[in-house]
Amino acid sequence: MNKTKVIGFIAAASTLFMLSGCGTQPKPLYTYGNYSSSYYASKKDVGADTALELQKSIEYAIANSENSTSRRVAPGMYANLGYIYLKGGETDKAIESFNKEKSIYPESAHFMDRMIKKIEVSQGDNKND
Amino acid sequence: MINSKLIALLATILLAYFLTGCGATYVTKATEFPKMYEQQPRSILILPPMNESTDAEAKDYYMTTTEMPFALMGYYTFPTEMVSDIMKQEGVYDTEVLYNMPLDKFYEYFGADTVLFTHIKKWDLSYMVLASKLTIEIEAKIMSTKTSEELWKYRGTVVVDLSGGNGGGSLAGLLASAIVTAANSASADYVKHARTANRRIIYSLPVGPYHNHYMKDQDVRIVDQTPEKN
Repeated sequence: MNKTKVIGFIAAASTLFMLSGCGTQPKPLYTYGNYSSSYYASKKDVGADTALELQKSIEYAIANSENSTSRRVAPGMYANLGYIYLKGGETDKAIESFNKEKSIYPESAHFMDRMIKKIEVSQGDNKND
Repeated sequence: MINSKLIALLATILLAYFLTGCGATYVTKATEFPKMYEQQPRSILILPPMNESTDAEAKDYYMTTTEMPFALMGYYTFPTEMVSDIMKQEGVYDTEVLYNMPLDKFYEYFGADTVLFTHIKKWDLSYMVLASKLTIEIEAKIMSTKTSEELWKYRGTVVVDLSGGNGGGSLAGLLASAIVTAANSASADYVKHARTANRRIIYSLPVGPYHNHYMKDQDVRIVDQTPEKN
């Protein structure tokens, strides 16, 4: 009697384990999409196409950040995006992105402030010309 | 009489066991990397890797694999590509120079608590008649920008058999097999295997402030890599 109870318990427990365990993979801390592979592609084949793909993957990672356990945009994503804007001459959007990085990750504040200051100084120079 | 002989025998076996080491020894994260728990860094500035391998392209490719795993371990990671660009704008092109800079400079410029140095020790493809083998060995270490101390250091190696083909015994089969091997060893695969090497390294790192187990993983066991103990 005791033995069958034990076996019954083990069977129930293992069924529960199998039902809950497999299938659903645990969500990662952050959503990266294919950031890593497009980053790699942009190094391997340097050009406008791969650069655009990289930007798209960063935008995807930002847009889908809710689909992760932290529900936060991954570290460096807004900084990356801001830097792409900066290189493209879109300084307002760059500053906006750098500020977003800073508001999510205070660890980046010092670096982001430095970037923003750089932009403001160069804009000041342009106005003086 | 029999008992004492038996005890002596057991003692000898035990001694032999300890002397040979019997594979890997384990340590806890807290005993191996106590300074990580003392200083509790929040951010990691990932520098471009130092390429000590024979493959010139390894540096650029490996660089794309480090940001994600360290972020997923719960640290704020500075964006690697942007950081590398900014360093160049500041006139630092050479990794040698970068790796020999005073560490407090990284705190001053970026506000980073720590710096991650990675050394690509091996990134080799060796060809044999019927097979080819890829070896990737990475050594990573985290240094404090405030105390200049080493907080964490670990090594990871992967050896991959790239012989994908099943060409049979004929000469034509041999050639086909060589072609398959060449196709299989495209650089994209290198990166995939580099990620595996990273996984072998990163599990030993005490997790950071954005991880659920922050300051709760002191007792997690890792393979001891300290040479004098092995």
